[in-house]
Amino acid sequence: MIEIIDGNASAAWGARRAKAQCVPCFPITPTTEIIETIAAWKAKGEFQGEFVQLESEHSAASAAFGASITGARVFTATSSQGLLLMHELLPIISGCRTPMVLTTVSRCLSAPIGLWPDHNDTLAMRDAGWIMLICETNQEVLDSVIMGYKISENKKILLPVIVNMDGFVHSYTRTEVDIPEQKMIDNFLPHPELEIKLDVKKPMTLGIPAMGLDYMKYRAQLHRAMLDSFEVVETVQKEWAKLTKRKYDFVEEYKLKGAKAAIVMIGANTTIAKAAVDMMRKKGKKVGLLRIRLFRPFPEKQIKKALEKLKDIAVVDQNICPGMGGILYPEIKMALSGCKAKITNYIHGLGGNFVAEQDYIDILNDVVKNKKQERKWQM
Amino acid sequence: MADVGDNPMEFNIKEEMKKEHLITGGTFACSGCNPVLGIRLTLIALGKNTIMINSSGCMTLTATWPFTPYKIPWVHGAIENGGSVAAGILMGLKAQKKDKNTNIVVYAGDGATYDIGLQALSGMVYRKEKIIYVCYNNCQFANTGHQASSATEKYARTSTTPPPIGNPLPRKNMAKMMALNGADYCATACTAFPFDFIKKIRKAATMKGSSFIDLLAPCEPGWLVQPWETLKAGKLMVETGMWPLYEIENKKITINYKPKMLPVVKALQMQGRFKHLTEPQVTEIQLTVVKEWEMITKGRFWEAEEY
Repeated sequence: MIEIIDGNASAAWGARRAKAQCVPCFPITPTTEIIETIAAWKAKGEFQGEFVQLESEHSAASAAFGASITGARVFTATSSQGLLLMHELLPIISGCRTPMVLTTVSRCLSAPIGLWPDHNDTLAMRDAGWIMLICETNQEVLDSVIMGYKISENKKILLPVIVNMDGFVHSYTRTEVDIPEQKMIDNFLPHPELEIKLDVKKPMTLGIPAMGLDYMKYRAQLHRAMLDSFEVVETVQKEWAKLTKRKYDFVEEYKLKGAKAAIVMIGANTTIAKAAVDMMRKKGKKVGLLRIRLFRPFPEKQIKKALEKLKDIAVVDQNICPGMGGILYPEIKMALSGCKAKITNYIHGLGGNFVAEQDYIDILNDVVKNKKQERKWQM
Repeated sequence: MADVGDNPMEFNIKEEMKKEHLITGGTFACSGCNPVLGIRLTLIALGKNTIMINSSGCMTLTATWPFTPYKIPWVHGAIENGGSVAAGILMGLKAQKKDKNTNIVVYAGDGATYDIGLQALSGMVYRKEKIIYVCYNNCQFANTGHQASSATEKYARTSTTPPPIGNPLPRKNMAKMMALNGADYCATACTAFPFDFIKKIRKAATMKGSSFIDLLAPCEPGWLVQPWETLKAGKLMVETGMWPLYEIENKKITINYKPKMLPVVKALQMQGRFKHLTEPQVTEIQLTVVKEWEMITKGRFWEAEEY
């Protein structure tokens, strides 16, 4: 059924359709509506899972870990400082190979405190061992939550998944979203029995210390599982496309055919940048765009394949690593090592700073005109 | 009702001791370690339908890859979240309708309980989660090298409260705090009184909501006592009145053991961590013990500061 809902409701519908059994949570703007929606469903008897509000995000993540290691399907959501408070648990959850889906609604970091979106919160989790899907539309949020469970619970992978959307731009903006039928999702997403879990009939010891080389082996296995997940993500996305006609890939190429200059970016603002590309294409400019959807594991090959023939590339970061620049920039440069393209970094939209088509047109004009490879602030 | 039988207080400890132990020997624990003894007693009391959650501390090292001494499901999360990991486990079991007949027990150190994990514990107790929380209290952050925690006694020596002053602050009273926080059942216990502790664990397992047991568990390298004297050290802490054994149900306190009220110096002199104490300091401790003991036995329990 098609409904007009915002990003928060989309994420909640994803959890509902996936029949999440446990939702441990803690409120934070701009995520709160997700848990409010689920709480309202629970009160009306429309949501069957357990819903518990804990006393902090740290405890919400801890409870998510606890619930997941009993074999239950777990969903939770957070933003910004809340995500940073959860951070301690994220490597523990991935290290214990505990499947779950965490929706992060991007919001800038304090201080100064702000409520509006940029990606510094979610990108700070890039080394936590979680599969990270960064969405552009509300529909993609809903789809990714459901696909997230299928990827996460795959026996070869058993890794937690972050599904990211942008605060406000997604979370409070209503768009048309197709909510899939429950029957279809039940067929698509059976709940597999986990082999590793806490069960009094088959006792196991989890989360124990490992010293020296044993520790290395565990980390190597985690890395291996991450790399193996490329294949699983691809299969799941193909299966989803067959069911819903909605195609997703690791990266999204937009009008890159015949392009000489392109923007590389993530998140909700991509929609605005796409409009800018359209406007420039109408004027005969050979420009395009690449959106990274799968951020971890990092799809180097696909990025290189999409961009290697371009002359000028603008990596547009809605985040800042103080003392270095944008976070995407070095990653894209690494993926394109050996290519001749001139790669320039632009920082924009921090703390939800307003951006419009003209900003992206300026960036694309600038990246073509400029002879030097450099880092810039688009304010 | 958790898995402690229909009449949990009818329990033949001698018979239970003959059964297979659910924690084996051969752990990394120090010789004379009382916290690890506490695990054995907890599991004797609760049996095999038990899930144990550990907060980072000495007892995390009992299982080190590729070995485990546990014959029950056991998990370690982080240091400050014993209460919330346990809440998650209960939530997960409830969602799968597997929560009946399973005991969920948190076994966390005093640093992980009194200090860094207080929020998660308080939240768990506030929500009345059916979980037994056992704090193995060796009065310090032992695993990191014996630093002071808010369970450290006044004047005790730790590596962050060195002599001549020692710890300038008296300890918190966690059992009392948790009783006011809404726990169904709170108790103090000591490894030197194993039957008392086992009884309390079994009573805790019958509660509808949360229970909290503060288990004094002497630590050989931390208390600076000989490995063969840790139980004696615990026993003297109780017999001098420095660690009274009581339980609190519905704000009603029951004293479970009447100590001999030996002079505190008997307990203090055998522990290296009190060796630097001056005579006035010992006298001060003695006076506090006498005063507070009188308060708790004469119906003024909630006014006493330390006990």
